[in-house]
Amino acid sequence: MGFEKFGRFGYVSQTKINTLLSYLEKGQIAATKCKKCRRTYFPPRADCLDCRHSTIEWVVLDGKSSLITFTQVFFAPPAFQPETPYLLGLAQLTNGLRVFAPISPAVDKEQLNPGVELNLKVAKGSRNNLYYWLE
Amino acid sequence: MAFEAYSSALDDADIESSEIDGSVVCSATHYDKQRSPAGVVAEYLGLNPQPTFNVEAACASSAVGLRTAWALISSKLHDVVAVVGVQKMTELSSEEIQELMGRAGDVMWESPFGTTMPAYYAMYATAHMAKYGTTEEQMALVTVKNRKYGMKNPNAMFQKPISAEEVLKSRPVSAPLKLFDCCPNADGAACLIIANAEKAGKLTDTPVWVAGLGLASSPMSLAGRKGPLTSFEVTKNAAKAAYNMARVGPNDVDVAEVHDSFSITEILNYEDLGFAKPGGGTRLLEKEETELGGKIPVNIDGGLISKGHPVGATGASQLFALTKQLRGEAGSTQVDGAKIGLAQNIGGIGMYAAVTILKA
Ligand SMILES: [Zn+2]
Repeated sequence: MGFEKFGRFGYVSQTKINTLLSYLEKGQIAATKCKKCRRTYFPPRADCLDCRHSTIEWVVLDGKSSLITFTQVFFAPPAFQPETPYLLGLAQLTNGLRVFAPISPAVDKEQLNPGVELNLKVAKGSRNNLYYWLE
Repeated sequence: MAFEAYSSALDDADIESSEIDGSVVCSATHYDKQRSPAGVVAEYLGLNPQPTFNVEAACASSAVGLRTAWALISSKLHDVVAVVGVQKMTELSSEEIQELMGRAGDVMWESPFGTTMPAYYAMYATAHMAKYGTTEEQMALVTVKNRKYGMKNPNAMFQKPISAEEVLKSRPVSAPLKLFDCCPNADGAACLIIANAEKAGKLTDTPVWVAGLGLASSPMSLAGRKGPLTSFEVTKNAAKAAYNMARVGPNDVDVAEVHDSFSITEILNYEDLGFAKPGGGTRLLEKEETELGGKIPVNIDGGLISKGHPVGATGASQLFALTKQLRGEAGSTQVDGAKIGLAQNIGGIGMYAAVTILKA
């Protein structure tokens, strides 16, 4: 199984950053860092768009983040309909990079507002799929 | 469907297919059953053996089609080009449309979490509400306004008025957006005949001139975008380019067509185009300045909310409405003495935006 294991329902199987899955299996969320110019990328990428070098290292994120915006989805694509309604959020990590992720159903929607502090944590699906969510 | 739009455009320009030396067919091809639709569209319209090809920029396809035609003509490669925007969405089941809609965003990092088109725009709405105090009641006013003008447009899909209460009571789609905050999917076609100045002078006494063309891009992923997500940088960049090229500013615009894929989008567009200051879009709306008779009438053909959104045809449909206005042929919704019109067309979830300025 390739990268389609990522997410609630993955679409892409082959990527240059499949290593993310082995971090998720260990309960960690990692970004990539360009070995030449030290720019960090999250979501991870294998090729640096600044210096165009493709040698990377992985750095583990602390997961602390601040919510920028969110929505609650009622009308969903077919693969996601059993889970409706569900929350999706965009948050800013402490390193300034941003993450688009589901928000854990354990979070009370009424408490959500731009600026709220959340943690990005590893989440496991029922089909052995792995991802991260905000909680 | 493309034939109906094309044929009425030929009648209007009093021109025949033999005088058109190329066609640009605009559709979001992922919605089409026909692969490479330019082939079959050009054949049906009688535009062989002239060059034809597809232009795709999601919901902004035919605005980019106009840009392409303008470049083909400015380069003197062609004299007269037909831009045909067309989309037949009812060939797909709603399951298929929902599946496609689920892949509207970054398919590697965002679609695997169950994103939808409305979800992305809803996230802009949440951010705008938090920063500026915008309310769902104010967003509903966009639908109320556009439906009111849709009644006067025989080509619109919705011909009935709607109350703010009905909008607010409609079922949630992606909070805070509800069903009637969203434009409906539709089948549709629109056609533009673009000619160089010499040819245009021979074809018509009332040519409409392309004065400004702005096109910009933004990261596809929401995570790749900067700022608080209370505005579309992509619109601001496209607007700047179009205003510069046309040498006009937002205060010079007499009538506008903006991309009201969702009620919140129209409010953001007022601000991003400079019709209102950041956060001032709702006030412009409430003061009825975007109504017929206001400072800057917007979407008085009913907008996407009334007309429906046949993805590939929408940009050309906006330009059709402006052309009618600038020629003084808009009937009961005519803006008196309209000389400068602006159309703004967002592609997909905001990765493309086109701003076009037309002059009478
Ligand atoms: Zn680098």
